[in-house]
Amino acid sequence: MKRKGKVTLTITIGIACLALSIVMFMQFRLVNETDITSIENMREEELRTELANWKERYEEANSQYEEKAKKLEEYKQKEESDAETAELVNQELNNVNLLLGKTDVEGEGVIITLKDGEENSEETPMVTPDNLNLLINELKLAGAEAISINDERIINMSDITVVNDTLILINQQRVMSPYIIKAIGDQTYLESTLVGKGRIL
Amino acid sequence: MTNKLKISIVLGIMCLALTAGICVQVKTVQSSNSTVSQNYEENNLRAEVLKYKERYDNTIKEIDELDKQLDAKIDEATENNSELEEAQAQIKEGNKIIGLEEVTGPGVIITLSDSQLDPSTVFDPSTLLLHDLDIVSVINELKNTGAEAISINEQRIVSTSSIQCGGAIININGERIGSPFTIKAIGLPESLANIDRTDGYLDLLRSEPYKIGVELKKSNNITIPKYSGVINFKYAKSVE
Repeated sequence: MKRKGKVTLTITIGIACLALSIVMFMQFRLVNETDITSIENMREEELRTELANWKERYEEANSQYEEKAKKLEEYKQKEESDAETAELVNQELNNVNLLLGKTDVEGEGVIITLKDGEENSEETPMVTPDNLNLLINELKLAGAEAISINDERIINMSDITVVNDTLILINQQRVMSPYIIKAIGDQTYLESTLVGKGRIL
Repeated sequence: MTNKLKISIVLGIMCLALTAGICVQVKTVQSSNSTVSQNYEENNLRAEVLKYKERYDNTIKEIDELDKQLDAKIDEATENNSELEEAQAQIKEGNKIIGLEEVTGPGVIITLSDSQLDPSTVFDPSTLLLHDLDIVSVINELKNTGAEAISINEQRIVSTSSIQCGGAIININGERIGSPFTIKAIGLPESLANIDRTDGYLDLLRSEPYKIGVELKKSNNITIPKYSGVINFKYAKSVE
């Protein structure tokens, strides 16, 4: 009787161990197979950001849609009159030029001034093209619509290079310290993206 | 008596091992912040994200449709007016530069992929990965060598595009993309190929200790898609 009890005990424990090991293996495998770019494996926080992102894009697209629909309607209405069509086409052209950066623009935003370090100190910290590039990247992230450095407008295909480690060229034009960077966009976004611990400034 | 002792010891060790295993797992699960109740929440969020993504895609399709109709209308309206035709041509040209039109032409295709080195053999494994800053630098060099249009994994680079780290992936135009990165650039291929010069950024990526996979190919026929989003200035207004 005593012997039989022992056997039962052993078997029970054995089964329990087996079950636990299987579960553990399954979990380890699951963790290994995780693919990080897919939406299935995003965590709550990421998902919230993603959701906000898509919501915003959807709303933007929606307003764009309404705008275009209105435009189309206008064209249909004014089909007969040449002068009015001309006006619509010219409006369109103006908008294209605005987006291209061909026109001067104004609006709310931020102005940042960067200066090279003092000449006489041991190591002279200099503003590098990388600094400027990263700053521009951050500004765009924060929703800057128009950016200029020392009145050189940053357009789609603007580049920033350095010659001899000293001359910085933007749009092939030389710029010098102090660098005055102007950005037009939502002031609050721009400021909060740039200023703070661990942020670029 | 010794037999019993042996059994207890074996059982004790097994229990310890299992408990340790469970503890490790519990800790992992805790640190990755997921419990059953949150999973429910996550599923809801996921569904929500997908819903908005779909609505967005649909709206973009509708906008494309409208664009076509608008184009047709404008063509019709400007047909007999040389001045307007001129303006219309300028608009089309401008849209290509802004990134609102698909473009084709000669150029180069650069493929960058994370290093194949064994992460355990290097001091800092993150040097084996491509970072947002690497992409920013490569793009800047491409612009310098005269690129007229650039895309990364089919995401067109426009004047408001930012490139940003999102953990193991990179966000461009609000889309998540991962390695390998295929960068297409349209321009004079010989000039663009200069990006792969000694001491250039691609050279640096390829060298020790990064050993990033770099491949550059010239091509006479590259197609770069139009920007998938909407560019609209809310704050910047033209100065009259």
